[in-house]
Amino acid sequence: MEVLLGITGKDFTIICASKAAMRGATILKASDDKTRNLNKHNLMAYSGEAGDTTQFAEYVQANVQLYSMRSGTHLGPDAVANFVRGEVAKALRSRRPYNVNLLLGGVDPTTGKPSLYWCDYLAALAKLPYAAHGYAQYYCLSILDKHHHPDIELDQGLKILRMCTDELKRRLPIDFKGVLVKIITKDGIREHDYVDDKQILPA
Amino acid sequence: MDALVSQLETPRSQQELYNSEEEQEQLALSLSPSLKFALPPIAQSQAWLRAMTDDYSNPNCPIKIAHGTTTLAFRFQGGIIVCTDSRATAGNWIASQTVKKVIEINSSLLGTMAGGAADCQYWLAYLGMQCRLHELRSKRRITVAAASKILANLVYSYKGMGLSMGTMCAGVTPQEGPALYYIDSDGTRLAGNLFCVGSGQTFAYGVLDAEYRYDLTDEEALELGRRSILAAMHRDAYSGGFINLYHVKESGWVKHGFNDMNPIFWKTKLGKGEFSNVTADLN
Amino acid sequence: MSRRYDSRTTIFSPEGRLYQVEYALEAISHAGTALGILAQDGIVLAAERKVTSKLLEQDTSAEKLYILNDNMICAVAGMTADANILINYARQAAQRYLLTYNEDIPCEQLVRRLCDLKQGYTQHGGLRPFGVSFIYAGYDPQRQFQLYQSNPSGNYGGWKATSVGANNASAQSLLKQDYKEECDLKEACGLAVKVLSKTMDSTKLSSEKIEFATVGRTPEGKIYHHLWGADEIDALLKEHGLAKPVDKDNEE
Repeated sequence: MEVLLGITGKDFTIICASKAAMRGATILKASDDKTRNLNKHNLMAYSGEAGDTTQFAEYVQANVQLYSMRSGTHLGPDAVANFVRGEVAKALRSRRPYNVNLLLGGVDPTTGKPSLYWCDYLAALAKLPYAAHGYAQYYCLSILDKHHHPDIELDQGLKILRMCTDELKRRLPIDFKGVLVKIITKDGIREHDYVDDKQILPA
Repeated sequence: MDALVSQLETPRSQQELYNSEEEQEQLALSLSPSLKFALPPIAQSQAWLRAMTDDYSNPNCPIKIAHGTTTLAFRFQGGIIVCTDSRATAGNWIASQTVKKVIEINSSLLGTMAGGAADCQYWLAYLGMQCRLHELRSKRRITVAAASKILANLVYSYKGMGLSMGTMCAGVTPQEGPALYYIDSDGTRLAGNLFCVGSGQTFAYGVLDAEYRYDLTDEEALELGRRSILAAMHRDAYSGGFINLYHVKESGWVKHGFNDMNPIFWKTKLGKGEFSNVTADLN
Repeated sequence: MSRRYDSRTTIFSPEGRLYQVEYALEAISHAGTALGILAQDGIVLAAERKVTSKLLEQDTSAEKLYILNDNMICAVAGMTADANILINYARQAAQRYLLTYNEDIPCEQLVRRLCDLKQGYTQHGGLRPFGVSFIYAGYDPQRQFQLYQSNPSGNYGGWKATSVGANNASAQSLLKQDYKEECDLKEACGLAVKVLSKTMDSTKLSSEKIEFATVGRTPEGKIYHHLWGADEIDALLKEHGLAKPVDKDNEE
């Protein structure tokens, strides 16, 4: 019951991930960060098999940063997404595949265009205006289908995000302990102070 | 020369990407001979291990692994409390009542043991070795973050091969202050304030969560740790024996006894009137 | 005394030189001239083709200019056979990058790849360095149009205008004299033929003797590279009054 959500707008990408780290019937941590900064303008959120997730994220992060050191330039969001997809695909055909689902949020620093990629553990990659993984898909995509436009401003994007997280709190049977929200703009990646303490009950 | 040519002609993409698994294995091999384990010539080592050791589905299984535990650790104002039971079980059989489940990695770092006793003992001893080597190489005590990462990467490299461990690393270093990490054989590694691990974890969580505050005094914290483990030892059939209690402070860890749970249980019951479901009367 | 040090590439001479690398550089200085000029809106590469025999089929093979990938071409001076190996390597490297990142390899990275390979042959024992210098012309979104040159030692550099091969010293000084930073591609082409005409043995040029290529941007903003056909080269030569007068023998 991990929640991953991504929304793009005019000049930003929002990435949102649930804060609960669950093992069996226990929530081990309620402030878990399921994201990794790949470089200044690229953020990856992940869910899936315990262990695989962070190992894969840190492996990719190390390689994207290695690229920057070697070439003196940064990989753009499209290149990062294709590279990550390639790594998932490579592992998929190995002895032990990575069981990870990913959202890749980024902003191209030269053009200022936001981008969001959805990638599942079978290495299917799609560039989308908004995306989700897991059960969040069933609740949030319909909301986003209705309310999202590609040229929305950040505050509008956050309003739609609020609708999504409220609905998840209302209807998901397991508490995911709220969400961590990060925003990518041309200035870089920042964590958003997302107030998430209101109790929401089904009508 | 052919070797050289082929080396120069190796596709760059293969040469240059730092490969997590290979690199780790190479690194580990260069550090220690202990990783040259011969693996059984079996495709599904985990399934094989399950068939050999799972006495739940097969009571006649040839190997019985010691399991079952309650361990807990929490951070508070005065440092970290680490507390465990001491029972080792192999199926329904109590294999030992005097297991030391807190492993003293060095004078300021502790590890706890839950899951396969052999796995934990072996790899925490290995971690102790790596921590000492780090200390010798860098002339500095290893951070808890680094130590826990060594263990997490190590168990991750054996993922899917049947390792079973849930451990906590607790320590106080000048760089981090009091630090607590949870590591399990899935490869999960989490920093946190409070963890309970083992078959009795839920019982311990129940007592601990209710009364936990960061500004607990040393005395309150020690008592809470002891009482939480006692709760688990009482309710969980696979936990019991002695209460092993540690307090990790800036100056290093201090041991607060390895005490039989029984007198403590009766003192708690009779002195405080708790455990009222247990009756001493015969009628 | 240098005999002891020049049979193996990996051994420095007492003066701190690598003779085999220097010999390779020497080999290149006898090859046909190649030059490249960076303009505001593109790059031109031009090369002298040494015609060895009238019987040699001229138009079926380019021997000095090659396409590396969609955003890059190069000119070769030196041993064509060695160049083929390196060009094949570069093409594979570029395609591998495309496969990994789904975008064209940045120019400098491709140059670097090739130069790392070349460097290997100046260090590891028992191997001969590649006897080729390259001039690369390319485009990437990060650094726009770029011109590079590399030599057998594995050194490379970015240039505004450069030349390699026979008479490259005089070509270089001509370029230095006449190069203008704000020139456009058309002016650069003019400068290229002018310099070539002065450094080549025959004063009058023809499409048989030179190869020409440009990298530029279409009016729609798309990047193209183009290896010129004989008629295009002849037209350019004619425009600059450098065309060879029509051969009397071949006239009907």
